Amino acid sequence: MKNRLKVLRAERNWSQQDLADRLEVSRQSVNAIETGRYDPSLPLAFKIADVFELAIEEIFTRD
Amino acid sequence: MNTGTRGGFTRTVPFWAGLTFGTFGAVMGLALTDAINSVTALILMIVPAGLFFQTMRVANSASDCIGRGEAQRLYIKRVAIFASAYLVVIALQVSLLEGDDVSLAARAALSVMPGLAICGVFWAIGRLIVDEKDEFIRMLIVRQTLIATGLALGFATIWGFLETGGVVPHIPAYWFAVAFFFGQFVGAASNRITHGSWGAL
Repeated sequence: MKNRLKVLRAERNWSQQDLADRLEVSRQSVNAIETGRYDPSLPLAFKIADVFELAIEEIFTRD
Repeated sequence: MNTGTRGGFTRTVPFWAGLTFGTFGAVMGLALTDAINSVTALILMIVPAGLFFQTMRVANSASDCIGRGEAQRLYIKRVAIFASAYLVVIALQVSLLEGDDVSLAARAALSVMPGLAICGVFWAIGRLIVDEKDEFIRMLIVRQTLIATGLALGFATIWGFLETGGVVPHIPAYWFAVAFFFGQFVGAASNRITHGSWGAL
């Protein structure tokens, strides 16, 4: 699964730690999701969508 | 990141852990070769126990630096408690089981205690999996533990058949727990390669 996390984070000038704090997860989790090494669960994907105020499909796309 | 600083010299968690296991091994070696008597060994065990607490203290401050959660702090505390208990009971076992005049009941009680202390560490790993709220970290711990379990069971099975075939000598079964802990290192390395993070254990 592809995602636009890095771009969206850069647009808001957030570090990985900033986003991790907002999502209440570790910085390693944000890094793993960003680099495509880990696909988040549906609840976490919804949380990410809420933080960026976007729909899930605007952040995550199929390979 | 995982460092503790004192007197301008940066000391890492592996430094203190190495010192702990080094002194523990030295004391055990001296006790087993009768270079020191059992009472001296028991007293000297305070050194690795103290170093172990220092290791945990540094690990705790390191975990604060990298934002580890409550579950991991609890895990470190639990492992510190059971590892310290292990050091104490293994010292008791070495010092009290030397003579032939120890009753079977006392022998059984002294012999089961180190195993129970190690079981406490297994329990702490299980609790960490249950308590960890970060799903990515939890997945890494589960992955690491599965690799360790597979490695320990594989080692036990293969060694058992080799032993039956008379290829290798008999070893005490607690070596399979050692294989499990070695497997945790293998699992952590595997996590680092496949997921870019060592995990939490």
